[in-house]
Amino acid sequence: MNESSAIRPRRTTFLIYLLPSVILFAFMVIVPVLLAVRYSFFKWSGGSKMDFIGLDNYRVLLTDSYFWNAFLNNLLIVFCSVIGQIGIAFAISIFLMSKIVKLKGFHRTVIFVPVILSSVVIGFLWGMIYNQDAGMLNWLLRTLGLESWIKPWLDDPNIVMYSVTAPIVWQYIGFYLIIFLAAMQSINSEIYEMAELDGATGFKKMRHITLPLLSSTIKIAIMLCIAGNMKAFDSIFVMTGGGPGSSSTVMAQYAYDTSFKAYKLGYGSAISVGIMILSVALIIVSRLIGGKSRD
Amino acid sequence: MTNAVKKIGVVGINVIMFIVSLSCIFPLIWMLYSSLKTEQEFNLNIMSLPSKPQFQNYIDAFEIGKMGTYFWNSAFVSLLTVVFTILFGFFTAYVIARFKFPFRNAIYFMFLAGMLIPIHGLLIPIFVEFKTLALLDQPYTLVFPYVAFHLSMAIFLFENFIKSVPLDVEEAACIDGSSPTNTVLRIVFPLCLPVISTAIILFFLGAWNEFPFALVLIKSANLQTLPIGLTNFNGQYTSNYTQMLAAMAIVALPVVIVYLIFAKRVMQGMTAGAVKG
Repeated sequence: MNESSAIRPRRTTFLIYLLPSVILFAFMVIVPVLLAVRYSFFKWSGGSKMDFIGLDNYRVLLTDSYFWNAFLNNLLIVFCSVIGQIGIAFAISIFLMSKIVKLKGFHRTVIFVPVILSSVVIGFLWGMIYNQDAGMLNWLLRTLGLESWIKPWLDDPNIVMYSVTAPIVWQYIGFYLIIFLAAMQSINSEIYEMAELDGATGFKKMRHITLPLLSSTIKIAIMLCIAGNMKAFDSIFVMTGGGPGSSSTVMAQYAYDTSFKAYKLGYGSAISVGIMILSVALIIVSRLIGGKSRD
Repeated sequence: MTNAVKKIGVVGINVIMFIVSLSCIFPLIWMLYSSLKTEQEFNLNIMSLPSKPQFQNYIDAFEIGKMGTYFWNSAFVSLLTVVFTILFGFFTAYVIARFKFPFRNAIYFMFLAGMLIPIHGLLIPIFVEFKTLALLDQPYTLVFPYVAFHLSMAIFLFENFIKSVPLDVEEAACIDGSSPTNTVLRIVFPLCLPVISTAIILFFLGAWNEFPFALVLIKSANLQTLPIGLTNFNGQYTSNYTQMLAAMAIVALPVVIVYLIFAKRVMQGMTAGAVKG
């Protein structure tokens, strides 16, 4: 950082530059985090009556099977996304970096389209794809003569989580594709040329050059994938609202239902704190595992 | 490998790539052409192209479904979000990039940590906070959280970029008598236009598509944004698929058009945090 007195503004101007962001951020992020912790110690339905109950909300939360079931649902989405999004994006990026695929720009542009769409639109669109009678998926199965595969995709509690996870995985493949392509393009092509002189073929180049050089990018991608999917909400809210029963309820949906449908704002706050702790913990765990595998 | 086998491999991979691309774009194309069909035509065959394209579904979506109101609300909130995020973020990033001052590192770290905080955990406390301060259900309500949530990314992108801008020009301008604010606006800001245009697209998309905070903080139908309007629409007209498809197209089309014009910048913007980090 350079320190130049010539361009340094006066004290008041300096504070006008700095403070609007800091105040707004404190008011919208820092204060709410503290408020969530405070409300979590109360039994409170939103009115003027607030009963301090200490850690009781957390005691309930620890054994609340609905909450832990929702957490497992989030974990399932995270797991499928790490495998599906990052795996598929990585494979496609290798294809797109090779010389044999035509129309690379077209593929890249098209695969990124779902990323920019509102998850609410995606949710409704896939809701229609899954529709029993007028759905594209069952139409496709019927056309292919696979009538026995036709299922009530969003109404069967045993498969609904997989049904709602598929659009989430599908939507963000393009996002990780662009990240991987950017990282691969920054690898010096001389490394590949030298490897080719030494007789390395496509798969060997991928395994021994691309993969190791991309390890830090892959770690960032995994972290983003975890952070992004712990807050999965919009498209599932639209497709099933967490149902049937609570079979597709994720943590954010459970916090929403508890606070705004059952009006248990104290307990809802405890759930929010739980979501924040579990998300940060999961990211730290993934960093620790990732850090170890490097050595 | 013989030539024939190699050729089959090449064709195979190209075919796979086309299937992948098609699966990404087809649902959107299906949505667009189906929204031009009548309800009866849609019920007869869900996959067929419209025999006589008609825009009645769009007219209904605007007239019955109030999509016009939601559209302007979304445009208003997105515009204010972009303007204030860029304005606040740019000046803060500038002082962080250029000067030493007390708590500089703490402030920078606070903003960066903001990128990792799961904002869905803030839904309930922000609702309570806004209720206490009577900020719920105002035309500008959503601008507060949207600007705050995008500030981290704005400051991160701008700080990085400003550091790469040489200092000499600013110093020369100041020695010639230009005031600091004048220098920042006239010299540093224009130099940062590449990263600012990336940021504009990123924040516009973020605000346009945001759902959970709009769901919780706005109750009156006159102030709701498009994603919420879409869920209302679905509740009232569940059985009318083609109208619903037209309403979805109204939400998606502005974003798709922006994307088709600025594809490279949009891709850069959406992945900026990850590629630089």
